[in-house]
Amino acid sequence: MNASPPMYDVVGKRLNRLDGAGKVTGAAVYASDFSLPGMLHGRILRSPHPHAKIMRLDATAARKLPGVRAIVTGASQKLNRFGNFIKDFEVFATDRVYHIGQAIAGVAADSEYAAEQALKAIEVEYEPLPAVFDAIDALAQDAALVHPEWQNLKAAPIINRDGNRCGRTVIKFGDVEQGFRDSYRVYEHVFRTSPVHAGYTEPRVAVAQWSGPDQATVWCNAPLLFDTQSALAEIFGLPASHIRVVVPGIGGGFGGKLRLGMEHYAMALARAAKRPVRVMSTSEEELTAALFRQPATIELKTGVDREGRIVAKKGRIVVDSGACSGSGPLVASTATMILAGPYRIPNAEIEGVAVYTNNHPNGSVRAPSGPMPNFATESQMDMIAEDLGLDPLEIRMRNILREGDIAVNGQKMTSVGLAECLEKAAACIDWSQRKPEQSRGKGLACGWWMTSRGSSGAYLKLMQDGTLTMMVGVVEMGTGALTGAAQVVAEEMGMQLFDINVVSADSLTTPYDFGSQGSRTMFAVANASREAARDLLTKMRTRAAKALGADEGALEMREKAFWNGEKKITFAELAAQANAAVGGLIAEATYIAPAVEHGAARVQNHFSPSWPSPSFHVHATDVSVDEVLGEVTINRYVVAQDVGYAINPTYLEGQLEGGAVQGVGQALFEEIIMVNGQVQNGNLTDYKMPTSMDVPPIEVILVTHPSVAGPYGAKGVGEPPSIQPPAAVANAVAAACGKRIMQLPITAEKILMD
Amino acid sequence: MRRGAVTVSKMKELNLKVNGEQWEVQAKDFDTLLDVLRRELALTGTKSNCLEGECGVCAVLVNGRVVNSCILLAAQCEGAEITTIEGMADGEKLHALQQSFLDRGAVQCGYCIPGMIMSAAGFLKENPSPTPDEIREGLCGTLCRCTGYTKIVEAVHEAAQNMSAK
Repeated sequence: MNASPPMYDVVGKRLNRLDGAGKVTGAAVYASDFSLPGMLHGRILRSPHPHAKIMRLDATAARKLPGVRAIVTGASQKLNRFGNFIKDFEVFATDRVYHIGQAIAGVAADSEYAAEQALKAIEVEYEPLPAVFDAIDALAQDAALVHPEWQNLKAAPIINRDGNRCGRTVIKFGDVEQGFRDSYRVYEHVFRTSPVHAGYTEPRVAVAQWSGPDQATVWCNAPLLFDTQSALAEIFGLPASHIRVVVPGIGGGFGGKLRLGMEHYAMALARAAKRPVRVMSTSEEELTAALFRQPATIELKTGVDREGRIVAKKGRIVVDSGACSGSGPLVASTATMILAGPYRIPNAEIEGVAVYTNNHPNGSVRAPSGPMPNFATESQMDMIAEDLGLDPLEIRMRNILREGDIAVNGQKMTSVGLAECLEKAAACIDWSQRKPEQSRGKGLACGWWMTSRGSSGAYLKLMQDGTLTMMVGVVEMGTGALTGAAQVVAEEMGMQLFDINVVSADSLTTPYDFGSQGSRTMFAVANASREAARDLLTKMRTRAAKALGADEGALEMREKAFWNGEKKITFAELAAQANAAVGGLIAEATYIAPAVEHGAARVQNHFSPSWPSPSFHVHATDVSVDEVLGEVTINRYVVAQDVGYAINPTYLEGQLEGGAVQGVGQALFEEIIMVNGQVQNGNLTDYKMPTSMDVPPIEVILVTHPSVAGPYGAKGVGEPPSIQPPAAVANAVAAACGKRIMQLPITAEKILMD
Repeated sequence: MRRGAVTVSKMKELNLKVNGEQWEVQAKDFDTLLDVLRRELALTGTKSNCLEGECGVCAVLVNGRVVNSCILLAAQCEGAEITTIEGMADGEKLHALQQSFLDRGAVQCGYCIPGMIMSAAGFLKENPSPTPDEIREGLCGTLCRCTGYTKIVEAVHEAAQNMSAK
């Protein structure tokens, strides 16, 4: 599989990103830089109660304050419920609040300061209701219902719900109980993880302007143009095409901006004020009222034979969706695949459950279903190895999926680079010296992920200067996905990278796209654009042959021209001719990854039962533990990832380096601490993200087992590096000091306390 | 009786020297340097996030020293030399830091990058030939979620070498 790849002119090269210059000079415009003449500033009044009936809401005094232009409440504007899988979100609460931080009213004023003052003048009286804050408690028969009217809430057919349970997925095959009876030993553990913030540095922001009673434009930092557009259309009861979503630029997302942020508030306020309104979330709102990664409780029972081979695996992951289901049902569903892990398993019963509580609703964070079940599975793998006296590397080598194996979902695995990742990561970290000194140890963890499906379209046009403009409906999140896709197009067209002009992030002018999510952006956009480039080249060749009076087959393409012997016509000349004669040279194409066969009988209510172009990854780390202070120092950190093919190794490394550090944050520091639904650490001092001093340089090993469907064999890369760090660090900490941590994050208190 | 109205302080004239140019701006007593840079001077290259001195994306140089412009009052900057990201390039020619950030792939979403480059610029004035560990210490006031800092540290190291070679 690793034959030396053919050489290309543009793909595979470490080229500087297309959008880099503006980003280093400060010229790049982000959504938070965007403003319009006459723009007002909006702020949101939020519930201080986790569950309460709203007895009285009076904004009379607030309306009279200087600079206040509009106030919107649940009663003042008819807005429809929304939600990706269950319509359980309200823009502004109507008669009841079900979580702290729930929006009750919005104010638009001349300044943020004036809006803030008005919030304080809105009078609200509540009558508290019984609440539930723990997802396991919420599943009890007698638990208080977060949504007593749950049966009336519209839901997608795939959702299996009952009371506080807002989703349940099962993977089941073989006979798991017989498997446990046949096992040499059976291990049973419970692991827990905490909510974390996506950690983007640009807060969520939106500017909305209505151009008529039923038409609006929203400038925001949403990664999913068309999902955002349809959610807003649903809320406001408008045709989707009447809402234009534009993303001027985005300061990070990491999944945390996938669902509506400030867009709906800005639109409601702008409609009431008849002026453009900007709403930007404050730092405190980000850490108390954003869509966090779901905390999870993971019960895992594994039976193995004498050699440590898995005989049966039974597990349940319960994710706390918070008061609205959000991404929870999807997260719980996909988590079943991660909980099983990239292993050969003859008997399994894996359940993923999403639950309502009166905590703040959660959303999606980079590899939304990844780190929680991986922490459980990979920690337990080490615990089994230790009990059996096996090397953690060896027990994995005995169990991992290899070429042609059948995975838990019944899918036949191809292009599996996992063994190579394990070998290379272990060699790099010097695995033979697992405990080089007192209080120092090494750990590793492996995992898998998918390249999400969903379709992409691309429009191309040849420009009069001989360059090419590519229009696509995604948002460049910073990953370099669009630079990568442009490299693919440039390669196809015989152009240089900077000959490609990219237009994106506007729902009106670009073709449909499933959006910047699921490690799919470069993969799908490059495939669609490449197809369009081939079509465009065919048209160009036909016109060139005619112009040169030659057979198409005789033409040679080089130096941005078609040649017939010594005679040539340049791309610029072709474009000029075609512009004058036939309305230019344009092409279009769409792409969706081919469906992958899986065992349908093995899965129930599964959102992602098959895994297109799966990726495989191993993280290895060398840590020291201060056994007096409990402090963990990461001495080295190695990421080996099967990326299929590296379209641009520089930005690919950037994904793995950044993703690993984000995961180290979840492993060691990050935790939204909630007590009875109230966040206790709503600032960036008490919610600690990794700084440059907390991590070593990340060492990256690119393994390349090409995907048949991927552009040049590439697989999705963006999410996976955030999956393995908690388990890898936990395993290294256990190796260093003997302490097994069962709950994230791995704090000094947990290391020191018995 | 509850009254929400407060006395909003009046705009005052303020003289600021930003990127070598003298500006007369209108500011309230409680306006921060960040407010004035972004709102009055439209220098939006300096980014806004936490507004409480925790994330460092708003870092600029004031008299050559790195400050978080979100927690420094504009009124305190009267007469000071302020440098923002817009003042780093020499015409078309990028500053060595800007160039190395580009060349080393240290830029992803880019939102922290102006703050990161200004932090690095201030730090390199104090320590022109730092080790990678010293760079990590020097930049720890600015958070970056995208890069994991590996390529940022490499970029600053490379820029330091290029700057001292001149």
